[in-house]
Amino acid sequence: MKSAIDFFNIILPILYVLTFGIYYYSFRMGGNKFSNSKRLFLFVTLLIHLIYLLFRTLYFNHPPITNVFEIFTILAFAVSFSYFILELVTDIRGTGPFIIIISLFFQIISSLLIKDLYMVKEVLRSNLLGIHVFSALLGYSGITIAAVYGILYLLLFKQIKLNKFGLMFERLPSLDILEQLSYYSAIIGFIMLSFAITIGLIWLPEAFPNFSYTDPKLIGTSLVWVLYGTGIASKIFGKWRGRKVIYLSIAGFILAIISTILSNFLAHSFHSFY
Amino acid sequence: MKLIALSINHRTSTVELRETLHLSEQEIIDNISLLKNGILKEGLIISTCNRTEIYGLPFNNISNDDLRKFLLQRKNVSAENSNIFENYFSSEALKHLFRVITGLDSLLIGDNQIFKQVKDSFRIADEQKFSGFLMKKIFSAAVKTGKRAISETEISSGAVTISYAAVQLIEKIFSNLNKKSALVIGVGETGEIAAKHLADKGIGELTVTNRTFDKAAKLAENLNSRILPYTKYKEHLYEFDIIISATSSPNLLITKDDIAGAMKKRNYSSMVLMDIAIPRDIDPNCKSIDYVFYHDIDSLNIIVEQNLLKRKKEIPKVEKIIDEEVTAFMQWYKSLEAAPTIKNLRDHFEKIRAEEVSKNINKFSEEDREKLEIISKRIINKILHQPTVNLKKLTENSEDSNDSLNAIDSLRELFGMNDNNYNEDNQNNLKE
Repeated sequence: MKSAIDFFNIILPILYVLTFGIYYYSFRMGGNKFSNSKRLFLFVTLLIHLIYLLFRTLYFNHPPITNVFEIFTILAFAVSFSYFILELVTDIRGTGPFIIIISLFFQIISSLLIKDLYMVKEVLRSNLLGIHVFSALLGYSGITIAAVYGILYLLLFKQIKLNKFGLMFERLPSLDILEQLSYYSAIIGFIMLSFAITIGLIWLPEAFPNFSYTDPKLIGTSLVWVLYGTGIASKIFGKWRGRKVIYLSIAGFILAIISTILSNFLAHSFHSFY
Repeated sequence: MKLIALSINHRTSTVELRETLHLSEQEIIDNISLLKNGILKEGLIISTCNRTEIYGLPFNNISNDDLRKFLLQRKNVSAENSNIFENYFSSEALKHLFRVITGLDSLLIGDNQIFKQVKDSFRIADEQKFSGFLMKKIFSAAVKTGKRAISETEISSGAVTISYAAVQLIEKIFSNLNKKSALVIGVGETGEIAAKHLADKGIGELTVTNRTFDKAAKLAENLNSRILPYTKYKEHLYEFDIIISATSSPNLLITKDDIAGAMKKRNYSSMVLMDIAIPRDIDPNCKSIDYVFYHDIDSLNIIVEQNLLKRKKEIPKVEKIIDEEVTAFMQWYKSLEAAPTIKNLRDHFEKIRAEEVSKNINKFSEEDREKLEIISKRIINKILHQPTVNLKKLTENSEDSNDSLNAIDSLRELFGMNDNNYNEDNQNNLKE
């Protein structure tokens, strides 16, 4: 099994490069070229990635959440998986390269630097922690995708306003659709984040005697959660739309990144495992 | 192939002459019955605003010159204008028809209306029994070529008119036009086309307004849309997601204040302003208002120019398709000559004979094997003797006639000797 894990670790960045390549080529060329084959490519990549994650869990006897680079490979999977679902649901296939490149980035770093840890803290073997982390990462993936669509929205908005009718104008879907995609991704992100926070609040105080509500990661995630909750509520009640919601989505993403960096790498608390 | 074609088009003549020689559907029907009477055995007449063309298989001693004289005489046009016609023969005539149906010969390259217009012309010819065996094959090949050009290249993609570019730009802002409302101010030619495009795209609610009320009423009736009195439309601007203005007014009709007020009333829900009038109808400063997308004829021209350039780049691909289809058609046509068909038929039977003999040779003794070869060959020769003689007779007596071509084609089809699928295509294309 170890040799299979090592093989998948090498092959995964290559698969993501190929998937990104086919999505990018299709975007450049336009029309329905590779419309189905690119989706098949993404599906195969995700399937192999899922097998890789399962193998790691079984072989090392803990969920792959014990170091930053394991987290990166889950993040790579979660981003592409969320996009795959979004593409299936909406059947909008032209925006793949802008999302898959994120997975590609995280997977390359992960494959290069991942550590195979046999001995880990007992708490990291908990499946509940695995679900907590995995749902949080799916939540952050949703937020990331929402931000990417937000940026694409602003880009197209500017191009239309300035009468620049280039490749992005031709290939991207309409502003309405980009806004919807950003909004739906934010909703998925918000739901997954809510789930992760709920599990955390129930389980963490039991698992960690030094649990604190002033934990930086908890505060940061809660702030992101509140920001997205406000944005989604404003959109639902029709108070905000268009660029305002998009700006909020991008702001939430930036806050999420800052909060993650601060809480993971700078602050030390019960919530830091590596 | 004795196909001839005569064409007057936007390259060869002025719009006035094209208008004079334009044929209505009824005129086409009348002319077909006259042409059938001693000029063309079968044929096709295409007449659009940019061209009038006659294709056909002539009776003996009929030339393009006779066709030209016929058309000029029918439309009472002086013979001085003879140089405005283009003449095509055989494969060149076929190639010209393929260029027409693919939009390569159109004023607006890749114009997709021409495909439907040519198909309509085929339909008329068919209904008037002006299309025989060969013309039906030509129709089929032309339709196939047109379809290939549309599906395999981008010769017809992108907007190449201002009105259509306006609608395409609107579609980049709003995804679902059936939930949107639009106002078209001014129903001259440009405004009317823009309104029709919006209606075609399924706009949720279309409203028109015009200085002359009757004109607006007529368009509104055609498009099943609402009319606003010209003096009142400003009070209703806030109701519309899309406003297209195409009047000939010398002054601005809609000011920035008008739009600012409308936006406030509609709670800054996005609004698209398309000013396709010259001089402009809407204050360009409107673009600075939040959630207002303002575009005038200059910005729409950018889209049109870019799309035209892209279409021009597609020309070599379409020409390649045309060459392939002309070659395929001519190969098929040549296969209808008697000599190659007889040879193919003999080869076909000989192949079957040789295969069967070789399969069963072991069932015969050594001394019988030579006899088997001789007898089986003799049987094949006897079977093929009469068909061969009849085929030669048929083609000698009636070169290029429907009877001989039909007989040869049926024979080839029956014995699976056709390399291409023109028969199947013919049926499919004409049915669609």
